[in-house]
Amino acid sequence: MIRAEHLVKAFSRPARVEGPLSSVRSLFSTRRVLTRAVDDVSLQIDDGEIVGYLGPNGAGKSTTIKMLTGILVPTAGNVEVEGIVPWKDRRANARNIGAVFGQRTQLWTDLPLRDSFELISRLYGLGREDYRRALDEFVDLLDMGPFMDTSVRSLSLGQRMRGDIVAAMLYRPPVLYLDEPTVGLDVVAKVRIREFIAQRNQDAGTTVLLTTHDIADIEQLAHRVVIIDEGRILYDGTLAQLRREYAPYREIVVRTREEPTLAHVGDIERTTTRPDGDDHLTAFRFDPERIPAPAAISRLSDALEVLDITSREPGVEDVIRRIYLSGSVGRDGR
Amino acid sequence: MTTGAQTVPAHDTVRAGSALPLALAARALAAACGQSWRSQFVFRASMWSGIVGAVLQVILVHLVWTAVYGSRESVAGVDQSVAITYAVLGVLATLVFQPFVFDTLYGRLRTGAIAFDVMRPVSAVPMALAQQLGSSLAQLPAAGCALVVGLALGAVDPPPTLASGVAFAVSITLGLVIAQIMNFTVGLVGFWTLEVGGAFLVYRMLAQFSSGALIPLWFMPGALRAVLGWLPFSAQIFVPISLYVDPDPGWHTVSAIGGQLLWIGLLIVLSALVWRRAIRRLVIFGG
Ligand SMILES: Nc1ncnc2c1ncn2[C@@H]1O[C@H](COP(=O)(O)OP(=O)(O)OP(=O)(O)O)[C@@H](O)[C@H]1O
Ligand SMILES: [Mg+2]
Repeated sequence: MIRAEHLVKAFSRPARVEGPLSSVRSLFSTRRVLTRAVDDVSLQIDDGEIVGYLGPNGAGKSTTIKMLTGILVPTAGNVEVEGIVPWKDRRANARNIGAVFGQRTQLWTDLPLRDSFELISRLYGLGREDYRRALDEFVDLLDMGPFMDTSVRSLSLGQRMRGDIVAAMLYRPPVLYLDEPTVGLDVVAKVRIREFIAQRNQDAGTTVLLTTHDIADIEQLAHRVVIIDEGRILYDGTLAQLRREYAPYREIVVRTREEPTLAHVGDIERTTTRPDGDDHLTAFRFDPERIPAPAAISRLSDALEVLDITSREPGVEDVIRRIYLSGSVGRDGR
Repeated sequence: MTTGAQTVPAHDTVRAGSALPLALAARALAAACGQSWRSQFVFRASMWSGIVGAVLQVILVHLVWTAVYGSRESVAGVDQSVAITYAVLGVLATLVFQPFVFDTLYGRLRTGAIAFDVMRPVSAVPMALAQQLGSSLAQLPAAGCALVVGLALGAVDPPPTLASGVAFAVSITLGLVIAQIMNFTVGLVGFWTLEVGGAFLVYRMLAQFSSGALIPLWFMPGALRAVLGWLPFSAQIFVPISLYVDPDPGWHTVSAIGGQLLWIGLLIVLSALVWRRAIRRLVIFGG
């Protein structure tokens, strides 16, 4: 279980000196500016949960994770992970957590991938038998056989990322922090990694806190999302709830030969039309609370000469973009 | 490796129960040491260039010191053969000690890889030391080749007595320990500011000069020599090699080794203090 209460992290950096000779004067300036990267974050994640941690660039996601892993000491507030205060007892905490920071690697770049795993198994005191079993299983699941003896420096990004994920899970920690584990990966690699994470979560009950800018990661893995901006939590709740609250409409896309001329059909509003080959694709939007989807579909079929019709869930991406943009949606949304 | 175990900050030992058992930790450290040893040989060319470089240095030092002495038998009371033996051993020791290489920790700090180091069940301090040691030991083949060449050229004399040889063996090991701790501690400066390139350069020049690796302290003016004798740098290289060439070991040998042990104790305390402050300042960039 992960528990954070009123977590704060403030960074200070030298203030910019302006005006003539600024670079010389900056050597002697002692003025500093303080930024609160994380500002009063409280969070509880139960065993076996997968939580998506979202927020725009610079929101404070990585900083939060660094405090939860014990890398950074919080400026204020309490953290407890599996009953241990991470920054106070880093070494005991180490065995309980695995972490992937997509932007950097924990592998030893000069050595073959296999050697890094070997060293990690030593660092965590794994028995030979346990180690071999875990390695065989993971290598198989992530299809890493072909590059186990390649030096990490020469691995492709996706291969390296798989290596990092295995490195974080080799000793089967109960808690896993994934900070952008799919950044820069192709579709196939992303799916493979998502499946692996989902499977570890199901089989071993691993608790996962996942940061990503790819909403598909969240849609496929997380039931619950926490959204943060400027260091403060904007939303904490289920993905379904988020959809319902912030995108209270559904979309229907209609294919017609001619471009439709009407702006709406009853309460069903037309949003966009674009040509598609010889046809036109038109999107309509309606509130499912007022018009049930089947009724909406039949009304549109009556009103237009429809070649094809599809209904879409509101895109989570849209929802999240709107939350980021407004930046102030329902604090304590839970 | 004893250095690692000794330098663990006090708060780590208190919670030893929750960390790795000692035997496992030792195996982990050995693995870390081996890893950095292997890293040194990833590029086969770097091994060969290392050997060629070391041999060349020995030959050059031999030539220079022979020229300095010219036809003189002795300068400042130091015989030619002693001075040349000293100079060659100084070169080799510098090679192995890699003094003034702060990369292990500082480099990881720059790249942010330190984040993972402080997340391990083995404290980052012995880990960094084990890796430093590994890359030092990786210089042994090159140093060995150069030593053979030195012996063949007649540049290196064997120790004058068996006791001198034994004293040297003990003392050079302690010198290595001192060098490792000092490099580690200086590298910690990176926790306060990442703009340390210039400071490291100055330190490196001072340290190389003060350790007696370039010029034996015997040749330095009295006052300077006294000051340098009181600094830990001379305990790295000057002390062991002067024990090597000493034809008449005695109590002064024991006290020189005692002095080294004293430095080790002091430096461990110092580096533990610095480390404890450093880790609380730890700031990981980006991501
Ligand atoms: N070491 C540091 N010193 C000063 N400021 C920092 C430091 N680390 C982070 N910050 C600032 O804290 C804020 C939060 O950064 P953080 O890395 O947590 O964002 P993030 O949510 O992970 O963003 P991204 O999605 O871009 O990874 C940013 O404004 C950043 O500039
Ligand atoms: Mg980030």
